[in-house]
Amino acid sequence: MSVETETRERTRAGSSLPAWSGERLRFAIFAAVLLLAPVWLPLIGSYTDLGTRVLVYALAAMGLNLLLGFTGGLSFGHAAYFGLGAYGTGLMLRYVGPNMWLAVAAGVLLGGFAATLVGPVVMRRRGIYFAMITIAIGQMFYFIAVRWNNFTGGEDGLTGFQREPLALPGGSVTLTGPHFYYFVLFFFAVGVFLLWRVLNSPLGHAMVGARENSRRLEFLGIRVERLTWISFAISGFVTALAGSMNALLNNFTSPLDLYWQLSGYFVIICVLGGMRNFWGPFVGAAIYVIMQDYASTMTKNWLSVIGVMFMLVVLFFPRGLLGVLARRRSG
Amino acid sequence: MELLLFDAFNGLIVGFFYALMALGLSLILGLNSVINFAHGGFMALGGYLAFTLVPIIGFWGALILAPFAAAALGILAERGLIRPLYGRDPLYSLLLTFGLALILEDITRTVWGAQGLPFAIPNFLNHPLNNVYFFVTGYRVFVVIVTAIATAGLFAVLRFTRLGICIRAGNADLETVASLGVNIYFLRGANFALGILLAGLAGILAAGQLGLTPTMGSSLIMPSFVAIIVGGAGSLIGSLLGGLIIGVAAGITTAYFPSASEVVIYLIMAFVLMVRPRGLLGQEGLFE
Amino acid sequence: MSLLELHGVSRSFGALRALSDIDLTVEPGELRAVIGPNGAGKTTLFNLISGFFPPSAGRILFEGREITGEQPARLVARGIIRTFQITEIFPDLTVYENLRLAVEAAMGLTFRPFLGAAGRRAVARRAEELLEAVHLADKADRVASELAHGDQRIVEMGITLSREPRLLLLDEPTAGMGEEETEHMVGIIRRLNRERGITMLFIEHDMDIIFGVADRITVLENGTLLAEGNAAEIAANEAVQAAYLGSRR
Repeated sequence: MSVETETRERTRAGSSLPAWSGERLRFAIFAAVLLLAPVWLPLIGSYTDLGTRVLVYALAAMGLNLLLGFTGGLSFGHAAYFGLGAYGTGLMLRYVGPNMWLAVAAGVLLGGFAATLVGPVVMRRRGIYFAMITIAIGQMFYFIAVRWNNFTGGEDGLTGFQREPLALPGGSVTLTGPHFYYFVLFFFAVGVFLLWRVLNSPLGHAMVGARENSRRLEFLGIRVERLTWISFAISGFVTALAGSMNALLNNFTSPLDLYWQLSGYFVIICVLGGMRNFWGPFVGAAIYVIMQDYASTMTKNWLSVIGVMFMLVVLFFPRGLLGVLARRRSG
Repeated sequence: MELLLFDAFNGLIVGFFYALMALGLSLILGLNSVINFAHGGFMALGGYLAFTLVPIIGFWGALILAPFAAAALGILAERGLIRPLYGRDPLYSLLLTFGLALILEDITRTVWGAQGLPFAIPNFLNHPLNNVYFFVTGYRVFVVIVTAIATAGLFAVLRFTRLGICIRAGNADLETVASLGVNIYFLRGANFALGILLAGLAGILAAGQLGLTPTMGSSLIMPSFVAIIVGGAGSLIGSLLGGLIIGVAAGITTAYFPSASEVVIYLIMAFVLMVRPRGLLGQEGLFE
Repeated sequence: MSLLELHGVSRSFGALRALSDIDLTVEPGELRAVIGPNGAGKTTLFNLISGFFPPSAGRILFEGREITGEQPARLVARGIIRTFQITEIFPDLTVYENLRLAVEAAMGLTFRPFLGAAGRRAVARRAEELLEAVHLADKADRVASELAHGDQRIVEMGITLSREPRLLLLDEPTAGMGEEETEHMVGIIRRLNRERGITMLFIEHDMDIIFGVADRITVLENGTLLAEGNAAEIAANEAVQAAYLGSRR
């Protein structure tokens, strides 16, 4: 399972892949590693929630990357949709009822529709102006969460909700430990499958075209603004899904989940892993989450650690890990 | 009515901070083609440096020296970190200044502590100028005067000095300026320093009004972005105007609906973007 | 019926008169060269025909229907397609992906949510067909930006063909190409014209190409129509010789 723009050794539509080509084998191994994470994580002295957090951040960054890496829109405001996803889920559980499916839906719809509404404001712009506008608009949602005190919990964050048992056809399941990991993995797979389908459709091809040469695309009769809007919206829905998972992971959310600094973290995660690569943000998220887990026990200067990482990536590693690997493989 | 005036005036003062920040950001955005996320960090640094300098050289000395100290650090950052990125995908300079912003915030926190610090201003500036309009303190008038002087100074530099003329010409067409034998690396460095100088000054002025916290930079930079977007990218006057407009708007909103005072500036921005995408005084198709 | 007719078409920019009172008729299947010194109004002529701006005066007819002042997008839908002096392709995509994207756009599939297997096959077939038409099948999986300039230009030709042009306007298709590349491009132009019957107007400076390929030649000078005829007539035309020798010096 790979997006065709991923590497330079690409295949054409008509010629179907042999059943167990390298590409499929790699994906099968990757899927097995994810499926077995609750087994092997404790064996290497880690814990399942760390794996869950990797999935959450990976999904958020992969959602962002549809816009950033594949459509060429420098969004620096995606924490807003992540945070709205978290608040939607938390508020639903707290004020409406203990239904997990509804809670996830509420988060996804809140964050996704916010992105859809913001789309027309930002879609006419490209380049650094796009970055500036997206980050500023994201801040609006941050302040709503901070100031709407009695509803959102204000600066202290939203508490008073927690993961509820999941209603399934065969009965309900309590979402602790590995169960919750698989719950998140399920939604991760849903989000990733959606992104993959989009990128392998004419719509996704056109998004990449907009990144490559938006003027050429306009000459082909395609409205790049509309394309940017759609990309922004889909990207927002997926990132909101990740935010919803994050609220459930922590049984908590706060305005920091909407803050512009988190938006920047998502961008660096994409770049670190390789933003021209479908799985790049996943690799970036794994590194980021593990590094954060490690650094938080070692130093109080987490901001400097990540700040230095920003610089090292930009100055020495601009293609990202998978970008470098892909280039090496193609010679 | 008095409360409204009070809030509006308060907003105006905050608008002056935004405007000073936005001016510097706008300068750097123009010639260096960089959105300087670290601008807030340099601003806080200006304030904190002044805090350290006041006991040694007094308020007035610090007011002059601290911005220059911040600008000197700005030059170092521009030389060592930003310069290698000119001409590359703008994403990378964005990420670099973003990382720099995080580091600066962490440095101020480590050196000066996470707790807020009070910033002492000369006593005579503390008094209201008028008994009825009690909120018109000497310090607030002082902020207006200093900002006016700094802005006038900036425009004088841009209009009358060789450096300023090169900066303006470079904004229009950097290649032509380079072909005339101007060292554009020096020009960009000087321009960056000029922008940071204004940020450092804004930091001191803000410190006198709001006190010092390590997060002051990251919370004041976003409204400055909004000021640029509202005023229009590519126009310094626009940035100035944008800063004042959103400051006053936030102030007036405080009088009627305090919890919306921050949100309102983003609503204004969204409105401007829908109605006039290039901003009030902006040029079409810039930085795209 | 003629494919394209211009009647008394003029265009001014402020005080500058870029084109004045042009009458021009292009028959279906024709391969027409437009030549003239720099500033003669060749690109302006293309901009008028492709609707980038309307004429200040005069009428333009396409397939007997008036198209004066219509928007570029409408004209593209009618089959008037153009290329530009700079190469407009998708650099980081393969040649095949370039053409596939163009085909999907041309077939109106871009904003359809789902494309079934049949749709995919139709797209692939059409893209393969275009690859053959411009002789790029052997380079299909190469990244476009890594190709030589001439091949990139041909990729652009392929993209252009995706819209099934009825009238193709080529603005200096061989500019900046080496001898071999030029020959290749000319071969493709000729074949598209002969085998597919695509009517073409092309701006060109190279006399060998002009006289070797074009059915008819239109000569512009200072915004006016200086001469029109087949190769022999133009070569013998004294006004043309004067204009050309004058500008070549």
